[in-house]
Amino acid sequence: MGSPNYAARLVKVSKAYGPTRALDQLNLTLDRGEILALLGPNGAGKTTAVSVLTGTRRADSGSVELLGGSPRNLAIRRRIGLTPQESGFPNALRVGEILRLVRAHYPAPLADPVLFDRFPLQPLLRRQAGGLSGGQKRMLAVALAFAGAPELVFLDEPTTGLDVDARRALWRAIGAYRDDGGTIVLTTHYLEEAEALATRVVVIHGGRAVAAGSVDEIRGRVGQSRVRFDGEAPDNLPSATRIERSDGRVTIYTQDADALVRAMVQRGVAFANLEVQPASLEEAFVEITGGGTQ
Amino acid sequence: MRLVYEHFVATLTGLIRTPAYSLVTVLIPGVVFIFIGTSVADSREAANLVMASFAIFAALGVAFFQFGVGIANERESPWEQFAHVLAVSPGTRFAATILAALVFAIVAVSILIGVALILTDVGMPLMSWARLVVAVFVGAVPMALFGIAIGYWSPPKAALPIANILYLALSFGGGLFIPPSSMPAVLNAISGVLPTRQIGELAWAAVQGRPWGLEPWLWLAGYTVVFGFVAAMGYRRDEGVRYR
Repeated sequence: MGSPNYAARLVKVSKAYGPTRALDQLNLTLDRGEILALLGPNGAGKTTAVSVLTGTRRADSGSVELLGGSPRNLAIRRRIGLTPQESGFPNALRVGEILRLVRAHYPAPLADPVLFDRFPLQPLLRRQAGGLSGGQKRMLAVALAFAGAPELVFLDEPTTGLDVDARRALWRAIGAYRDDGGTIVLTTHYLEEAEALATRVVVIHGGRAVAAGSVDEIRGRVGQSRVRFDGEAPDNLPSATRIERSDGRVTIYTQDADALVRAMVQRGVAFANLEVQPASLEEAFVEITGGGTQ
Repeated sequence: MRLVYEHFVATLTGLIRTPAYSLVTVLIPGVVFIFIGTSVADSREAANLVMASFAIFAALGVAFFQFGVGIANERESPWEQFAHVLAVSPGTRFAATILAALVFAIVAVSILIGVALILTDVGMPLMSWARLVVAVFVGAVPMALFGIAIGYWSPPKAALPIANILYLALSFGGGLFIPPSSMPAVLNAISGVLPTRQIGELAWAAVQGRPWGLEPWLWLAGYTVVFGFVAAMGYRRDEGVRYR
């Protein structure tokens, strides 16, 4: 099997569901050892992109390469891991039984000590999946993606709905995997997660990759800072990339918060409760896609 | 193969832990036999034949419905989509499903035979019993694959009605409820090529101590290949939910 230096590649991949075009000539290269976050609003094509990469859906056109082969090839699929969507498990099966079943599909899965060191599932082994809490289900879902010790892992919203401690624990586990040379594709709405984990971000919108870069670069595509205050929003301020108003509170995105505030003072703009913060990735992302996140 | 075993154990374990479901599945053929079968089993010969037909009916019900068509309901589940990405071939998964179906069918048929032994004058040589069991379970394999094929090819909500019609048509057409000898000629001709009829021919020959012909076996082998192929195509083509 030829091993290119990329782990997966989509070239001009299109996929339509009836009249809906989910992927529109999407190009995407996944490098080995990176944690790539796919961001985008619902319906942007993230899930479809992952489905095509993992072979669950066939592309209408374009080429799909996963670990040097076809995602439909069983030998290739033995080298990838993923999370079940919505943490759906067979309710009557116990956690230990599910782990056993999934690990049986891999040639050299993680042994119990390593697995439980990264994912503290040991106390839950005899519990039926149907009786787990939401957080416990997420933990199991993420553990299943890594349990086979695959080269490439697809994570779908790995830490949605987790409390802070559990989220940190999972982030550590994901970091440990990357330190071992693993590659990850992360789809998430939860942007703090992408900020914490991703080495690269690709923003998908309308079935195309509309922006790509590091978290900082994506953030730099729009306002670096966010200036908020109570009052009336003035027009024609220098360096304001975008202005939002709601309930008397104004939010301005800008590359240069200092210049913006200086200009507001010079013009005698009335403001109260001024706040200056670095813009989050979420805001950058709204800016790039020009639409709301959901 | 290890994966067949692992999927088999997982499927069986899940079902056994859902007793409301599994008990009904294994008890229904016996109960139906009490109400319908016992009244026509007025001689030993008749009782043997009726029981044989009901045994087929029971095994088919389990293999065709619960395990085959049941896939239609699970197809859209997140777990099933996940399992699609695991490195496992459709053949492995079908084999595990069929094995689990056979376990349930064995229990259902055993209960049915128990009921028949208590309430009717059923009786035959040991060899006939053995041949009956072989006929019923060999016949269950193509029918399970048929069910799986329907499960993957029909829209989930339509799978059950479609399966119901086919199941009744195949049971009647195959002569499980009315003997082929009392069918009109046209119906009998159609009946002759149905999978259920082949299983019937084998089972009836078994309980009457007649030798088996080659023809039903060939038909069943052919149906197994065809249904297996159609089921595998359905599995491969299945992309789960169509909406995003």
